[in-house]
Amino acid sequence: MKVIANLCKHQQFKRTLGEYRENLYRIAYSWCHNPALADDLVQEALTKALKNSGQLRDQKTLKAWLYRILSNCWRDHFRRSRDTVDIDDVILTDNDTPDTCHNRQQIINRVRNAIAYLPMGQRQVITLVDLEGCSYIEVAQILDVPIGTVMSRLSRARKALKERLLEAEVKGDSNVHPLRATT
Amino acid sequence: MNSEQFSEERLNAFIDGELDALEKSDVFEALNNDNGLHQQACELRQLSELLRHAYEKPPEIEKYRKSDTSRVSPWGRAAAATLLVGVGATLGWFGHQQPQQQVADSMSAMYWDEHNAFQNTDLNQVTSAQHSKKIIVHLNTSSIARFEKALDTAEQLMKTYADSDMGTEIEVVANASAVKMLRTGYSPYADRVRELQDRYLNLTFLACKDAMDHVRELEDLKTDVTLLPDVDVTPSALEHILNRLSEGWVYLNV
Repeated sequence: MKVIANLCKHQQFKRTLGEYRENLYRIAYSWCHNPALADDLVQEALTKALKNSGQLRDQKTLKAWLYRILSNCWRDHFRRSRDTVDIDDVILTDNDTPDTCHNRQQIINRVRNAIAYLPMGQRQVITLVDLEGCSYIEVAQILDVPIGTVMSRLSRARKALKERLLEAEVKGDSNVHPLRATT
Repeated sequence: MNSEQFSEERLNAFIDGELDALEKSDVFEALNNDNGLHQQACELRQLSELLRHAYEKPPEIEKYRKSDTSRVSPWGRAAAATLLVGVGATLGWFGHQQPQQQVADSMSAMYWDEHNAFQNTDLNQVTSAQHSKKIIVHLNTSSIARFEKALDTAEQLMKTYADSDMGTEIEVVANASAVKMLRTGYSPYADRVRELQDRYLNLTFLACKDAMDHVRELEDLKTDVTLLPDVDVTPSALEHILNRLSEGWVYLNV
């Protein structure tokens, strides 16, 4: 009976993890901007979560725990590919911007490009807060940084996005318009 | 208390619901007294919305090489409207220094083409191609001068097209702080609005419910904001504008 109970528990946990797949994929995609890589990272994170389910003491912290695993997977991947670069300082750019795309898609592309210009540390913080609604404390736990660092990264990230999206055209790109009315 | 006393980190914490009740009260008070701070807070909220919109539908892993032709989501609509406002503003108010009778002739307008892509054009050019002249005039600031221009424009358009049998309809839509211009006791143009409403049956004034709720929250009111007589309310100005655009209306931003 105990075996069956454990099996049921395991299946239940697997189903619960599955419910987070979409959120994990979105946040992974916002970090790497590569659908295939994002999917791999999510798969790796879910596998690790399933394997280490015993480490989760409190179900209430499941979300933060999963994001932390995902963040570690992303960090590991990054370290494997760029051993000498600090992930927190890296700026990736997304050049996948079709010239003739739809206006709504253009907005999406502009925001994603702006996100891609943020250093990874800032990118992770702002996406966790704005996309997943994580509290500052949760983000600090997920990324294993002090809460003050979360606040300063978030502030710098939003300042950079504001300059890029709301205030000024990107230098050298005369086709870019600010996304709000200028007064 | 003014904006200089608030660090950006603290304002961010306010936006993200990270402050306790006392700290929130301080920020609310400062927002009421400091337009600059209020603007900053709005921009931060706007950024969050843009970010959520941008990642609402990440590429599906099986289909990520295919183009995205998904339907318009609420976030999509909101962000598209944000772009609309931005582009509209950059177009400028071409007619504002022209003689009044030529305002309609010289104005840049925007509309959605058959692919739902924004197109900039001369107002007359687009309306002449339509079977009706349906124009939406959008205001999003509480600038008295801009509101006056919006009223002048609406009146001029009604006069210009009054003789046509093309079913002229004009809507003046106010959101954000522009709602103040349609608010009883606050609008300096209450009489002018009344006069235009009486004179032109096809001229409608609309206020954004979202913006009204925001004012109510900021001012801690127990009842809804009171609008000028016969001013209609739309749940969301941006949604309304986008619906109108999809129906073939022409958009003007003041």
